[in-house]
Amino acid sequence: MLSILGPNSRCCDGISRRGFMKIGGLSFGAGGFTLADLMRAEAASGKGSSHKAVINIFLGGGPPHQDMWEIKTDAPSEVRGEFKPIKTNVPGIEICEVFPQLAARMDQAAVIRSVVGCAGGHDAFQCLTGWNNKDLKSIGGRPAIGSAVSKLFGPVDASVPPNIGLAKPTKHVPWSDSGHPGFLGAAYTPFKPDGPGMKNMTLNGITIERLNDRRNLLSSLDSMRRDIDISGAMAGMDVFGQRALDVLTSSKLLDALDLSKEDPKTVERYGDGKPYQYQYDGAPTCNEQLLMARRLIEAGVRVVSLSYGRWDSHSANFDLVRDHGGKLDQCLSALIDDLEQRGMLDDVTIVVWGEFGRTPKINDKAGRDHWNKVSCAYLAGGGMRTGQAIGATNRLGEEAAERPVHMQEVMATLYHNLGIDTATVTIPDPTGRPQYLVDHEPIRELI
Amino acid sequence: MDIVFTMNVKSRKQLVLPVMRRRFFRDWTRRHSGAMRRISLLGAFFLTLGLSGAGLTKVWAADAEAELRESSAVVDSPVMPTLRFDNVKSKHGFTLSGLDARLQLVVSMQLPGQLCSDVTHQVTYRVDHPAVVRVSDGMLIPLQDGEATITAEHANGMSVDLQVRVENTGNEAAISFPGRVVPIFTKLGCNGGGCHGKLAGQNGFKLSLLGFEPREDYEHLVRESRGRRLSPASPDQSLLLQKSVNTSPHGGGKRLDLDSHEYRILSRWISQGMPYGSDDEPQVVSIEVMPEHRRLSAESSQQLSVMATYSDGRVEDVTRAAVYESNDSEMADCNEKGLVHLKDLVGDVAVMARYQGHVTVFRADIPVSGSTITEDAFPEHPENPVDRHVFAKLHSLGIGLSPVCDDATFLRRVTLDLAGRAPNALEIVEFQKDTSPNKREQVIDRLLASEDHAEFFAGKWNTILRNRRTGGALRFANVAFHQWIKEGITENKPYDQFVREIITASGSAASHPPVVWYQQVTDTNQRIEDAAQLFLGQRIQCARCHHHPYEKWSQADYAQLSAFFTTVSKKTGRDPLEPLVFAKLGGASARHPKTGQTLKPAGLDAQEVAIGAQDDPRTHFADWMTDPSNPFFARALANRYWKHFMGRGLVEPEDDLRVTNPPSNPELLDGLANSFIESGYDLKALSRLIVTSRCYQSASDASPENIGDKRSYSRYYPKRLQAEVLLDSIDRLTLSPTKFAGMPAGIRAVALPDTGFSSYFLTVFGRPESTTACECERSQEANLSQSLHLLNSEEIQSKLAGDQGRAARLAADTKRSDEDKIRELYSIAFSRDPDDRELKATLTYVAAKENQREAFEDVLWSLINSKEFLFNH
Repeated sequence: MLSILGPNSRCCDGISRRGFMKIGGLSFGAGGFTLADLMRAEAASGKGSSHKAVINIFLGGGPPHQDMWEIKTDAPSEVRGEFKPIKTNVPGIEICEVFPQLAARMDQAAVIRSVVGCAGGHDAFQCLTGWNNKDLKSIGGRPAIGSAVSKLFGPVDASVPPNIGLAKPTKHVPWSDSGHPGFLGAAYTPFKPDGPGMKNMTLNGITIERLNDRRNLLSSLDSMRRDIDISGAMAGMDVFGQRALDVLTSSKLLDALDLSKEDPKTVERYGDGKPYQYQYDGAPTCNEQLLMARRLIEAGVRVVSLSYGRWDSHSANFDLVRDHGGKLDQCLSALIDDLEQRGMLDDVTIVVWGEFGRTPKINDKAGRDHWNKVSCAYLAGGGMRTGQAIGATNRLGEEAAERPVHMQEVMATLYHNLGIDTATVTIPDPTGRPQYLVDHEPIRELI
Repeated sequence: MDIVFTMNVKSRKQLVLPVMRRRFFRDWTRRHSGAMRRISLLGAFFLTLGLSGAGLTKVWAADAEAELRESSAVVDSPVMPTLRFDNVKSKHGFTLSGLDARLQLVVSMQLPGQLCSDVTHQVTYRVDHPAVVRVSDGMLIPLQDGEATITAEHANGMSVDLQVRVENTGNEAAISFPGRVVPIFTKLGCNGGGCHGKLAGQNGFKLSLLGFEPREDYEHLVRESRGRRLSPASPDQSLLLQKSVNTSPHGGGKRLDLDSHEYRILSRWISQGMPYGSDDEPQVVSIEVMPEHRRLSAESSQQLSVMATYSDGRVEDVTRAAVYESNDSEMADCNEKGLVHLKDLVGDVAVMARYQGHVTVFRADIPVSGSTITEDAFPEHPENPVDRHVFAKLHSLGIGLSPVCDDATFLRRVTLDLAGRAPNALEIVEFQKDTSPNKREQVIDRLLASEDHAEFFAGKWNTILRNRRTGGALRFANVAFHQWIKEGITENKPYDQFVREIITASGSAASHPPVVWYQQVTDTNQRIEDAAQLFLGQRIQCARCHHHPYEKWSQADYAQLSAFFTTVSKKTGRDPLEPLVFAKLGGASARHPKTGQTLKPAGLDAQEVAIGAQDDPRTHFADWMTDPSNPFFARALANRYWKHFMGRGLVEPEDDLRVTNPPSNPELLDGLANSFIESGYDLKALSRLIVTSRCYQSASDASPENIGDKRSYSRYYPKRLQAEVLLDSIDRLTLSPTKFAGMPAGIRAVALPDTGFSSYFLTVFGRPESTTACECERSQEANLSQSLHLLNSEEIQSKLAGDQGRAARLAADTKRSDEDKIRELYSIAFSRDPDDRELKATLTYVAAKENQREAFEDVLWSLINSKEFLFNH
């Protein structure tokens, strides 16, 4: 059952959404896992081995595709903008000058210059699910990748949620979305470190001594036979009850979120992204979150989603990109180095993208407006064939001229890197209909 | 049923068995093994029996096909050992016509005192004329015209013969595209929803889902990019074949071997110039799996055979072309060759076989091996029909029945299941004191008449009828509909009337509250899909876009069903927030999405309905649904209620009553449905029938005889309290009611008018959001967040430590003894007295603590976190 790569031709057969004998959970969702599987998975994922994971960095507002990974040097000045391309360590690939450190690591990444299929919404929905937010809305909508993976794989470690959203609340709410569980139901909502579940991880109103007294009393009273329950819920509650008590005495999750436990030199390499500029109603350029993401994945998280900066550059586009880009250059290259050093880079896929691109023509406030005909994405790690630039826009950066890559292809690549075959794996929706995770295939150039 | 065997005796030892009687077998099996009953003898017609050692004895069966069919394949076991071919029905053997014909052999062995076993892949096959036919992997492959005898020999010396005739190997018939080629695409998964079968196709090549539209497939394959996909001059160069064997890069990888039957058929079809075939060529009219039903031992396997009957009467083996799927992969799985592997669980399992839009099911019962359970293990002459059917099933599987649960457990269980709460102190005392023999029945009647029952069941229906606020605040309409449902349950409105009033609702929420269903479920498709799933247990939505892959429903069936709803309309009433729902006058009809043909309303598997010009078509829909002869309506409800009380539906999921998803106890489901119809669709009577049964009142504790049972109801399966009931129980135990915005103080969570009230507790324990008609939205799964919340949340801690809470009150009460206080806690939490050990542990704990209030908080905490509190058991 741990392997979900096999052919799955189920169709309209109505397996219950949360079939029995499964242990799942709010933000710890482990649907699809029997207790025995859970134990096996945990045993198998002992020290030293690394699990597949994704860090989804959302550039809320829509980064200007022509000022990131493909500088339109042939375009007239009202389109071209201020930036010059710089060489990277991969011959023939040039990217924007604000990313010198990423340029020096181009061999470990791939840029897609021709992302298409943007719905045009000013939200993270497509970058989290691959779908339009209207799709399947009547039954709850499409689940985000983190929720789907929680459903399919469950937790790596029962005390650490498999799906975490780090996005801090933003005034423009859709930019702080960490992914909705959609038709999978609330049990697969990403865990948020500022959410109500977080407070339950530290003792509420009692001392550790008293908790231990309570535990002892409970264990002397709680004597019901567990094996009489056919649903597995009793045994599941025992396992999670034990993990919960472990969390209260020493939490891997809290430790992962606590950057004071990290080597200060490492923290410094990521930078702090301060002062936060151009933030308005969007996310801060919180560099530490990338470090936190790495720590969380080391602790057993499968998908970390975060929102980095506010790229909605209707004015002062170039100053904004200089600020945000420079900071991103620092923390993203630190993240790549860290994963590389720890031998995790082949297992962890980093994706950096936004909801759409920006207008070719620079407006009178030196800004660029919304442009959903084409956009861009940056991918690293995940065992992909990196050192590539895929696709191209036309001379003015208006549309994909070569190799249009649909947003769903990017999402399919993430699923693929997590070990999920999107051509065969389905999740039944509440009506019993098997739903494929995405309709497109992974980017063939990368896998 | 009697079977007359004609004897063809060759040996010195003659088996005298002119008439075999059921009673005889029963006596025999009782003597030998309690578990050895009702052994399948399906298709034992062309039967040759060899007894080696004792010499060869051949027993020829008369062609008793009709009789055996009638017996639905489960008959008593014979006393003598037999080896037989299972799937050949004629005494003249089997005829293979043409080189493409195949016959999957199925050989079964029956030894005295043992279950029938499949030995298809254990026996050795000998062919007397090897030039005519050969056997490969248990499959007959014709070589040239002629006749041959196949002998299957078991290592124990038994053997059996099969006569085979091969003809028409000389004429190469034109290969039909819909008849031969499309099934290959289905079998290989080419036209699956993840590949070329999806709406947009895959990489420019599109096929209809599961091949339901062969004409379209033919167009795409033959007419589009002609010369590239198919090359008659050089078939092997065709892209179709190169992709299938992956010599040309194929996203789907290699699907076929060059040296395979399927490859050769495709190749020959191309070389023939890709004939489509004619529209009047014989169609598959039915398929049959053999065996159909069998008792098998755990961890054994069973080869299936699937035969298709065509409209011209021809019967063809399609075992390798059919697609298989087990309805429970924990019990069994089935490979592409139709070989079923059973796992180590006891119970029943079904494997679906599908070919050309037809579906059928193989069912296996897996009894406990070596069980000593006899009829004596069950109460004699059970009055309740539920018990008769459950006991029969348990007996047949050799599973023991748990004893009756004690009174305290019964009271808590039935109060939780009927009223959504634990019994209160008064109820517990009164029940203890009551000495009347029918006191359990009396409690049941009292609970069924209570308001708590109406509130609890109103919540259940409210959720699946999707009564939920849209946007921010609770609306009048939500409250009105909830109230209407509750009143219906209070007055025990017949279920047919309840459904009719919803389906035919017109007017405003104020005048007729069930119109809210139409306001919540807004489009015609969603309405018909919800109605079918809710009231008929049919998931018709598949057939909106394509033929239902696991049912017989076509797109025309879907359109005709939806036609009943096509005249429903909305207009603004006096209050703009409360639109009026009504049915427009005029002919109800729907267009077939493919043919564009206008279709009149019709129920599933029912005749078109003539609807008068002034009629509301929905009335006819309600008439059809609630007619006692409707095969879905009563069964769907019976299964839904059974699951509510018994924790597991006879069909799972409870609203998916497909032919390919058979009930675990069909007689019981029929019995429940029939008595529900006979009672005039009386919901309380159905609840009463179930909870008064011995089966419902079994202890949840397991014995070695039934610990492995997960689906035959040998004991009561514990259920975790659902979110609302659990919160109410904690509130009552701690004396700290939860407040819900805008609701009167002290309202129970189960009585809330919708599921939109903000509560982390309810969310984390799986309260549904009421966005679908599926009960599956409610999650009963365990997770870490729940454990953390129960063990360590501010919410629970504040309930434990509240100044008005129970711990504070108990600590402040200096008049009562600690023992008395502990007894009170046990009574409220578990509906029982503590035993000596528990009393001692808690008293010691309380005595050792200086702070009495904290001591009682800790005891309460321990009770809340124990399984006995969290589960109905």
